[in-house]
Amino acid sequence: MIGLRPTLAGRVCLAAFATLILLFLALPIIVIVVTSFGNDAFGSFPPHSWTLGWYKQLFADGSKWPAALSLSALVAALTTVFSLILGVTAATALVRSELPLRTAVYGLVLAPLVIPQVVIALGLFLLFEPASMLGSPIAIALGHTVLASPIAVMILMATLKGIDERLEDAAASMGAGRLTVARRITFPLAMPGLVAAAVFSFITSFDEFFVSQFLSSVDTVTLPVQVFNVLQYDVDPSVTAVSALLIAVAVVALALVGVVRRLGGSGRQDGLLPTETTVGLPAGNET
Amino acid sequence: MAGSALATQPQPQSQPAPTATPGRMSRLRRALAERRTRYGLLNAAPVVVYLLILFVYPIFSTLLLSLKGEEGGWTLHWYADAFQGANLEILLTTLRISAETSLLSLVIGFLLANAVTRLKPLWAGLVMLVVIVPHFISALVRTYGWIILLGEHGVVNNVLTDLHIPGAPFQLLYNEIGVVIGTTSVMLPYTVLLLYAVMRAVDRRLLAAAASMGAGRITIFRRVYLPLVASGLVNAGVLCFILCLGYYLTPALMGGPKQTMVASLIDDQVMKQNQWNGASALGIILLLLTFAGLLLLRLLKSAGEAYRKRGTAS
Repeated sequence: MIGLRPTLAGRVCLAAFATLILLFLALPIIVIVVTSFGNDAFGSFPPHSWTLGWYKQLFADGSKWPAALSLSALVAALTTVFSLILGVTAATALVRSELPLRTAVYGLVLAPLVIPQVVIALGLFLLFEPASMLGSPIAIALGHTVLASPIAVMILMATLKGIDERLEDAAASMGAGRLTVARRITFPLAMPGLVAAAVFSFITSFDEFFVSQFLSSVDTVTLPVQVFNVLQYDVDPSVTAVSALLIAVAVVALALVGVVRRLGGSGRQDGLLPTETTVGLPAGNET
Repeated sequence: MAGSALATQPQPQSQPAPTATPGRMSRLRRALAERRTRYGLLNAAPVVVYLLILFVYPIFSTLLLSLKGEEGGWTLHWYADAFQGANLEILLTTLRISAETSLLSLVIGFLLANAVTRLKPLWAGLVMLVVIVPHFISALVRTYGWIILLGEHGVVNNVLTDLHIPGAPFQLLYNEIGVVIGTTSVMLPYTVLLLYAVMRAVDRRLLAAAASMGAGRITIFRRVYLPLVASGLVNAGVLCFILCLGYYLTPALMGGPKQTMVASLIDDQVMKQNQWNGASALGIILLLLTFAGLLLLRLLKSAGEAYRKRGTAS
C-alpha cells in the first residue's frame, strides 16, 4: 500500500499535541482525586501531606452529605427502574414489531437528548410545582427518567438488533410461549445490554444537576445540587471528597459495563456505550 | 390518550374483497402482520404516554405561559422583554460563548480525532478511553477540577510562572477565558466522538491515490480529505453549539457577571424573582434556536445528498 508516510517531525508534533489534549481532558479529574487526599483542601497542588480527613468529615455528625447521598441513590434507583421498563418496551416496539409512525415514535424518544435541559427542567418545574411535588424523590426520578430513558432505549435497541431473531422464532416454533421465549431466550442474550442500560440510567440520574435543581426543595437536595451550592455559596473543603466519590461511582459504573461486555458471550456486544449509538444520531440518521 | 389515538389507526380498513383469494398464505401473513402491529403498539405505548405527559406537555405549557399576560389574555410582551436591555445582552453573550466554545472544541477535536485515526489500534483504543471516561464523569465535578487548576495559585499558573511566561500569573477564573476553557473541556468528548466516527470511515486509499497522482499534502487535505469529512465537521459544530446554548453549570461556576448565560437567567428568574412567564419566554427562545440548528443540519444533509447524487450522475 502506498499510504501517506508521516514525517518524523510530524509524528513527534502529533504525539505531543495529542498528549496535551488528553491532559486537558484528564487533568481536572486527576486534580480532584489527588486533592481529596491532600491536607490543604484548596491549597497547593500536589499537596504537601496526605490525609483521609475529608472523607471522615463527610460522615461526621451534622454533615449534610449523607442525606444528599441517600436521596441521590434513591432517586437514581427509581430512575433506573422506570427507565428500564420504558427502555425494554420501547426497544421491543421499535426493533421487533411493525409500528405505525415508527419514525415519529423514534424521534420522540430521542428528542430529550437534544432539547436544552433548561427547557425540560423548567417544564417539569411548571408541572410539579402546582402539584406541590417539589422535593419529592418520585418527582425528581420521574424527571430524570425523561433524560435517562432515551439512553436506555438506544442501548437496548442496539442489543435487540444484535440478537438473532431466528433463535426466538425457533423456540416459538417448538411450542414455547411468548413469555417463555422472552425468559429463556431473549433475556439471557440481552443481559449485557440490560446491565449497560441500567448502569447508564443510574449514573445519568446520579450526576444530573439541572432537573434536580429545579425540582428540589430547601431540605431535599440531591448530591450534585449540594455540591453546586457549596461551590457557589459556602466553603466546605469536604466537597472535594464528595467530588472524588462521584468520580469513583462513574468509573466503577463504566468498568462494570466493560466487564459485562467482555463476558457478553459469543456475539459482539456493540452499542453498550451510549456514545457508540449517540454518535450522529441527532442529525436524523435513523437506523 | 395518545395510545388510543395511535391504536385506532392501523386497524384494517375493510375485509379483503371476495375476488381476491389468492390463497390462505396472504391472509395468514396479514394476520401475522396485524399481530405484530398490535404487539408494537402495546410496547410503544408506555414510552409514548410517558414522554407526552412528562416531556411534550410540560414544554407545551411553557409555551402557553410565555404567551400569557399578567392579567390574562395573550401577549408577546415577555418576548419583547427578552430582547431588551440586559436580557438581550445575556442572549448575545450566550451566542458568543457558544460560538467560541464550539469553534475551539471543533478545532481541537478535529486535530485529536485525526491523530487517533493514524495511531495503531492499541494506542487508538487507549486514547479513546481517555476521551470517553471523562464524558461519563459529572460535568460539575470536572468544572470543579478546573476551578482548582486555574486559580491564582493553581497548577496552571504555577507552571506558567515557573516557565517565566511574561504576565503570569494570569486571571483565568471568573472571566470568559475560564468559561471557554471549562465548557470546551466538557464539550470536547462529544466533538471527538462525532468526528472520529466520520474520520474512521474515510477510505485512506483515496488519499493514497491522490498522492500517487502527484497531489501534495496540502492539496490532498484540501481537495480530498476535507470534502470527505466536511459533513461531520458541520454536524459536530452545530450540535456542540446547540448543547452550549442551554448549558448552565460551567458558565455559572467559572464565569463572572459578564458571562451570564440564558440558562442562568432562567434559573434566576424562576428561583429568585418568581418570574415564570419571562423564564418561559427565554426557554422557548432557546428551544427555537435549537430547532433552527437541527433544521440547518437537516437542510445541509439533504443539500449534500443532492450534490453527491448530481456528482455521480454526471
